[in-house]
Amino acid sequence: MIKIENLHASINGKEILKGLDLEVKAGEVHAIMGPNGAGKSTLASVLAGREDYEITAGSVTFLGKDLLELATEDRAREGLFLAFQYPVEIPGVSNVNFLRTALNEKRAYHGQDPISAKDFMALVREKSALVELDAKLASRAVNEGFSGGEKKRNEIFQMAMLEPKLAVLDETDSGLDIDALRIVSQGVNALKSPENACVVITHYQRLLDYIVPDVVHVLYDGKIVKSGPKELALELEERGYDWIKDSL
Amino acid sequence: METLISNKLLQFVADLGPSKLQVPQSLHAAAQAYLLGQDFPTTKAERFKYTRLAKLANAQLSAAHQLDAAQLEQHCILTDAYTIYVNNDQITIPQNLPVGLEINLNTQVSGTFHEASFYDIFGALNILHAQNGVSIALAKNCTLDKPIQIVQANSGGKYFYRHHFNFGANSEATVYFVSKQQEQTTSFSHTHFQYEIAQDARIKIFKLQDTAQNHFDFNEDRAQQAAKSHFEINTLTLDGSFVRNDTMVAVQGEHAQTYLNGAYWLKEEQHVANYTTIDHQVANCESFETYKGVAGDKATAVFNGKVFVRKDAQKTNAYQSNANVLLSENASVNSKPELEIYADDVKCSHGSTTGQLDENALFYLRARGLSAASAKTLLLQAFMEDVLTYVKHEEVLAYVQQRIAERFNWSY
Repeated sequence: MIKIENLHASINGKEILKGLDLEVKAGEVHAIMGPNGAGKSTLASVLAGREDYEITAGSVTFLGKDLLELATEDRAREGLFLAFQYPVEIPGVSNVNFLRTALNEKRAYHGQDPISAKDFMALVREKSALVELDAKLASRAVNEGFSGGEKKRNEIFQMAMLEPKLAVLDETDSGLDIDALRIVSQGVNALKSPENACVVITHYQRLLDYIVPDVVHVLYDGKIVKSGPKELALELEERGYDWIKDSL
Repeated sequence: METLISNKLLQFVADLGPSKLQVPQSLHAAAQAYLLGQDFPTTKAERFKYTRLAKLANAQLSAAHQLDAAQLEQHCILTDAYTIYVNNDQITIPQNLPVGLEINLNTQVSGTFHEASFYDIFGALNILHAQNGVSIALAKNCTLDKPIQIVQANSGGKYFYRHHFNFGANSEATVYFVSKQQEQTTSFSHTHFQYEIAQDARIKIFKLQDTAQNHFDFNEDRAQQAAKSHFEINTLTLDGSFVRNDTMVAVQGEHAQTYLNGAYWLKEEQHVANYTTIDHQVANCESFETYKGVAGDKATAVFNGKVFVRKDAQKTNAYQSNANVLLSENASVNSKPELEIYADDVKCSHGSTTGQLDENALFYLRARGLSAASAKTLLLQAFMEDVLTYVKHEEVLAYVQQRIAERFNWSY
């Protein structure tokens, strides 16, 4: 699905990713954990194509294509989805309106006809139910006046609408209470299939009780320094990151 | 015109005859006195700081030519309205008006309330050289069943118009003023609007400015509001290379409400200036003012909004805002909100913002698969949305959206 090799990225001259390697196959769920400042959100931003970052070395191959050569929107159209850590509030732009544009531009990119208004609304109903997002919220301005939990559910709602191949969840659990965490996780789990994959970036093991990973990676100082089965997350929760730093 | 000494001004008025409307002696004298020794204002004059008049002074205006009925109709926006056509020397007034509505040719320059407030030479020139205009009176307690539409078709020449509106007590009406340009003509127009709004009247004015690249469009709106009246004036500038709007509302009766809204969509080398004054003279009134615009290419926008709250105007609630989005490095906006408050128990606020589109919002939309162009359009539409919510008439809204879509490639 995606293969990241020796990725180096910097912002304002400061190197954040220092030779990151990661491979995720279809049907897999990978968790990336790590202390503050390790580069977790940078990885998410670089994959989505945020232009503030400079890629100084390495490659990212996504479904056989050079991801780094693609514009942000083309990455999305190819099937990459980033659930933002801090979803942006966009006053005046209706959630469903922009999603219809997004969906239709993606369909056009793949040579498909636009979705009919009727099918689209049916899809909105189906997918908003999945994350228990009030249909009224779905049609309101993007994230405007949403609570923290509603914003994150809205991210998963958008993900459900766009049906990505690879979803990158950037600290989707931050700011969520236990009920919202359950709902968001249920949504992610319901979308899981042998054809898609998911990278869960998180600070805490808590989320991984709900979204069970196949592999857990530790990102530290811009590199993956340790990978292991889901039990690694529990060990990190118990022992912190210091033992990993010490073992380097 | 022996009192004028400037060559530029002399040249400009040389081919203008005296006003065809009757001008009261005192007003005529005041206008002449004002013009004495004046030249075309330079950018040193406060109200022309951002407006270069050299272009007008040097402009080769095409000869005025009268449009035929079919040509005039093409400039219409509303199909069902009491439609008046204003085209150079000719004014067409609709027949079969409802009881309570009178529309006549304006025969008199009236200047009861704004004598002391000429803001520029063009206002004074209008008094001395007004060629024609309409006089519209709506009787008290009369609610119009359909809007009034005034279509001003500019087709060459240099014209000063003067329209007078008298809205009786407890009357209700909506007026659409459509300013358009006939193809392949170059012209100048200065239009003075005078609105007298009696007690409890509910009046909405929409100005749809859609002139072309070769028209100089000057507008001077003067309104006075009596107690408990509701007056709304919305100025939408859809096109036009040179547009100036100078709007002044004198709030003279208590519990009156005033809404002043403006929207402008600029590109290329358009220059659009909005000067507004709300003069709260009495207590317990509210005013709300929102001007918004986008400016691309080398366009320049000017907003200068003044709110006076006089000593006796206690409990005034005045809100004013101007917000702009710049689409290019060469576009500019000069925004100056001003409050002058002489009463001590009032609620007033004003604000002005000029910026670019939110990069984070653009990225967010692109990360969902929207092209950069679609994302930009969506954000700009959202930005201008609240000014468009005042436009309730479907035909008018459709026209506005169609024109923006044509000019900016925005899809609606």
